[in-house]
Amino acid sequence: MRHDERMDDAVDPAGMISPPAAPAAGRRRRIAARTRLDFWFDAVLLLGFTLAYSYGFTGIGIHEWLGIALGAALLLHLTLHWDWVIRTTRKLVSPRGPDKLIYLVNLALLVAMTFCVASGILISRVALPSLGIYPLTGPFWTEFHFKTADVTLFLVPVHVALRWRWIVRVGRRLLTWRPVRRPG
Amino acid sequence: MDRQGRAQAADLAAGPAAGVRFLRHLGAVLLVVAAVVLLALAWNHLAGGAPAAGPHGPGARVPVVVLRGGRVVARPRTRLGRVNGPVIIDLRMDLGLTSMFDPVNLPSLRHAVVIEAGVGAAVVIIDSVRRRWRRARRAGC
Repeated sequence: MRHDERMDDAVDPAGMISPPAAPAAGRRRRIAARTRLDFWFDAVLLLGFTLAYSYGFTGIGIHEWLGIALGAALLLHLTLHWDWVIRTTRKLVSPRGPDKLIYLVNLALLVAMTFCVASGILISRVALPSLGIYPLTGPFWTEFHFKTADVTLFLVPVHVALRWRWIVRVGRRLLTWRPVRRPG
Repeated sequence: MDRQGRAQAADLAAGPAAGVRFLRHLGAVLLVVAAVVLLALAWNHLAGGAPAAGPHGPGARVPVVVLRGGRVVARPRTRLGRVNGPVIIDLRMDLGLTSMFDPVNLPSLRHAVVIEAGVGAAVVIIDSVRRRWRRARRAGC
């Protein structure tokens, strides 16, 4: 049985247990702060990556600064979900360990995105030189950056879509406005 | 407390130990990321991208030129490299704020969004079909 199949409404992908939904009181249903943080932070990451990938749309300055910020945000994202990484790594030894596909996709995404951000920093033409840092350059890193960005663009939606049930569940609870119930 | 009367995981994590735990996790993440970066550097080295292997011969040096607004403002140093000309670094901060509002540049964003939406939708469809199929098989047993 997979992790998200076992998961009820109260548990998020990071394994955090949310409090039961509070009765409607003219506000959004109560959702654990950690679940809310995960949802919005991941949404911002997705938006940030989409913008950073669209180099022709943003221009080089935003592309480079956004890429650096994305690198830092990814470190935070991974840190917030480190418990899941440890737990799932331990379960991988079992022949039908849960989350195996998700784990493999996440691992590939970690490698591709780290390659992409690192090579992007190495070929930076605006962001780092403006700070007085003149990084390496060369055809290898440029080509590497392009290729890993393409792989990442494919893996990011897979990574997101593999958790679509959690996204729909939490999104529905976060974004639905329930009317005030008046007594009588 | 959750529905089963257990303390919330978030509550367990809270407290003075939470900061230490976060830093420990961050340290582990940094180690993993550093290992991946080292892997990339090793790849570059094995692919012949080491500076000493350039077309100018071992240890060839390439001048670095810094421009601001099209004018050379500094030639900070030379460095090892295998490019055939000087490395030009333009300090002009093109933030691209205007380019984002230019409809001509929208196809670039659309391209990324279409790929993400397409791949995401395919995964969701495959996952739904697979779940339905498994549920039907379980019900049939």
